[in-house]
Amino acid sequence: MARYILTRLLQAVFVLWAAFTVSFILLQALPGDEILIKFENPDLGLSKQQIADIRLAYGADVPLHQQYLFSLGRVLSGQLGNSIQRGVPVIDAIAANLPSTLRLTVLGFVTAASLALVIAFLATLTPFAFLRSLLRGLPSLFISLPVFWLGIVLIQVFSFQLKLIPVIGAGPWEGLVLPVLALAIPISAPLAQVLMRSIDEVETQGFVAVARAKGASRRWVLWRHVFRNAVPPTLTIGGVLFGELLAGAVVTETVFGLNGLGRLTEQAVNLQDAAILQAIVLIAALGFVLVNLSVDLAMPILDPRLRKAFGGAS
Amino acid sequence: MSDGLRTPAPSRRAFLAGTASLATSVALGSGVGAVQAQGTAPVTGGRLVYLEQQAHTNLYPPAGGFYPNGGVLNQITDKLTYQNPKTLKIEPWLAESWSFNADRTEYVFKLRKGVTFSDGTPLDAAAVAKNFDVYGKGSKELRHPVSEVINNYAGSEVADPLTVRFRFSKPSPGFLQGTSVIGSGIVSPATLDRRFDELGDATKIIGSGPFVVASEQLGRELVLAARKDYAWAPASSANQGRPYLDEIRYIVTGEDSVRIGALLAGQADVIRQVQAYDEAQVEKAGYRIYAPSTRGVNNSVVFRPDNPLVADIRVRRALLHATNAKEIVESLFSEHYPQATSVIASTAQGYVNLSDKLTFDPAKAQALLDEAGWKPGRNGVRQRGAQELALTAYESLPQPQNRATLQLIAQQWARVGVKLTVLAGDSGSRATDDLDPLKTPVSPAMVGRADPDVIKSQYHWENRDMLRQKPGRGKVNEFVDAKLNELLEAIAAEVNEEKRLDYVVQVQTYLLDQAYVIPIFEEPQAFAAAPYVQGLGFEAVGRPSFYNTWLAKR
Repeated sequence: MARYILTRLLQAVFVLWAAFTVSFILLQALPGDEILIKFENPDLGLSKQQIADIRLAYGADVPLHQQYLFSLGRVLSGQLGNSIQRGVPVIDAIAANLPSTLRLTVLGFVTAASLALVIAFLATLTPFAFLRSLLRGLPSLFISLPVFWLGIVLIQVFSFQLKLIPVIGAGPWEGLVLPVLALAIPISAPLAQVLMRSIDEVETQGFVAVARAKGASRRWVLWRHVFRNAVPPTLTIGGVLFGELLAGAVVTETVFGLNGLGRLTEQAVNLQDAAILQAIVLIAALGFVLVNLSVDLAMPILDPRLRKAFGGAS
Repeated sequence: MSDGLRTPAPSRRAFLAGTASLATSVALGSGVGAVQAQGTAPVTGGRLVYLEQQAHTNLYPPAGGFYPNGGVLNQITDKLTYQNPKTLKIEPWLAESWSFNADRTEYVFKLRKGVTFSDGTPLDAAAVAKNFDVYGKGSKELRHPVSEVINNYAGSEVADPLTVRFRFSKPSPGFLQGTSVIGSGIVSPATLDRRFDELGDATKIIGSGPFVVASEQLGRELVLAARKDYAWAPASSANQGRPYLDEIRYIVTGEDSVRIGALLAGQADVIRQVQAYDEAQVEKAGYRIYAPSTRGVNNSVVFRPDNPLVADIRVRRALLHATNAKEIVESLFSEHYPQATSVIASTAQGYVNLSDKLTFDPAKAQALLDEAGWKPGRNGVRQRGAQELALTAYESLPQPQNRATLQLIAQQWARVGVKLTVLAGDSGSRATDDLDPLKTPVSPAMVGRADPDVIKSQYHWENRDMLRQKPGRGKVNEFVDAKLNELLEAIAAEVNEEKRLDYVVQVQTYLLDQAYVIPIFEEPQAFAAAPYVQGLGFEAVGRPSFYNTWLAKR
């Protein structure tokens, strides 16, 4: 088990380095750079010579490998520098955006998972066939709703028409209700779908029939046997959906005018804000590594068969 | 600059358009200056919620040209002089009086006594000298760029604590107006001791303005608080004491429909950037549209004559006459976007009506293209030999409905056999390709500033170089127009005001005779406000001023 965790940690370090390096290369491959975008902007009206001086001052013309080593060295020494585009320390920009994105995505994921659970259970337990097929159709509907459209509809209906929740000047939690819903509904769809399918699959297995034959109620079997066996595939999908959650957060944050890493990323990519992008790439890679690591570590707890693989540790 | 994620316009529009009826819309004129309810005294106190489309970027004052930056800087900084938005005359502000020598190479400003920055330090001659030393020369060490409006700056001298003298290497008649613009806001020396890449934090910007940055949530929200001891407004201001409002909350709300909806639902008081198609529903609800003019170079498309396809004046003139600006204004915009009648706005200094040069005449366009050797070819696109007359332009995100405007122009040009491809592109591609006339033979352009220098700044190769001349900023092989440059330099250097404006007239005529530019409309800045918002003002080029603003009973 210890060896397994160590391997995974080394892998994690490699993933972080690779993410940093690939993002550096991709940034270089894009046409233009942040200094060109910032200072060629007509709003500043600088002359050619003035821009050339600025390029020199920022060291934008030194060879690429030196720039790479410089930024890698800076990150390794724990410094993130200042964003030229925004004129603030990168750490401040991240601090202003990370907590709200974490709140939004964690709440969004929890809501999506609860929604998926409710849909999957109702779709299995509801007595009438037409209701069941209606519920089974829900994920297809949910996944085809574009997040920005859903966001605008929620705002128009709940905030502007019914005036239940303000979009502007809402409290920190109150203001999250609609964005979380807008984010959770499309995300819940694949979760619900996978959960329903695994429940269907598990229900056809012999041990379920045995449990039923022993006189257990449908609900008890579902909860006690089927559900436990149906969860692992859903958990895997959940890990993968983390990325989608961030993508959804970009749109949600833009529509609702929220602070967040999603919006910060979108703007940083557009403006080729290297300092902020590299910080975000590292945070995102770290997030992915942690989520997938905890999914992998949680699997053996849920599935005893996997525990054997680690040499019978329990 | 950084526009947020852009959703397709039709979905927003369709959802919000509702049953807006154009017939009931109330015209409010250009809304310049303060609009005040008659017979009611201003109320002190209260908080105003202002929705901005984009977050501010760097608040170094010379970067105030970006509207979200200017919207903040205009509340927290004062300038040496005040350009009255009604008369465009330069009035005293932080400077009580000024003088200059005959060839305009030396200016002396006498400062007002008792003005302090919000950190308590005095606003004296030394502070003012430091500001202009940085704006005029930049700072290599702290990476502060030079201000666009201050040319030929040689240095400053502090004559006494309230007298400062500026010297210039060449005649600089534009400097006096240059001290009144948003980019010349005076900040405390402590602010200028910070590195350029620290000035995106609004709380670090210490000015002497009627409002002070109280707190900021980066990229999302900014709170400005009234300065209770403010007592140095320009003499023509109705208010002379503290601002009426206690607090202004700037909230960044990128989505057009959310800004409008929040305003109409009572969650906000003033919003910036109202699209023309949303104006009707705002006015129908009894709210007000304010559309102050930007008084500069009109919203136009410009040619890069270094590109062989548009090097021939006949082709450029053909496209000028193939463009139907009236159709653009009538189908995409509103009465607040007057059709252009020259290169610069009718409210700009030195304007001359040249609408007889801007006629829509497709037959003439066809004839000119025939004459230039471009014959009708396959798919309706004209050809000369194997070459197609196919052009490309990038849309400009800050300009209102620029994509739709360019697409309509593309349709109009297609009718005479010229293809125009409109690209969106990321900022990097746009900035790179924009320097290369071969990649962008056509480009949208506009700039706001209420001084004749603005036209020089827009077209001279040393400044914005919109036509991309040699040896300017672009990848240019040979295009240079010596006559144009000579006229532009004369505007910047002529000390006789009358002669200076005459050069402005000559430049407008020349630019249209050469068909370098196709002016489309006079661009306003569009705001909407709730009916109880009183005294909302705008500086000379349309940045909001909340100093005289107060909230009446709802």
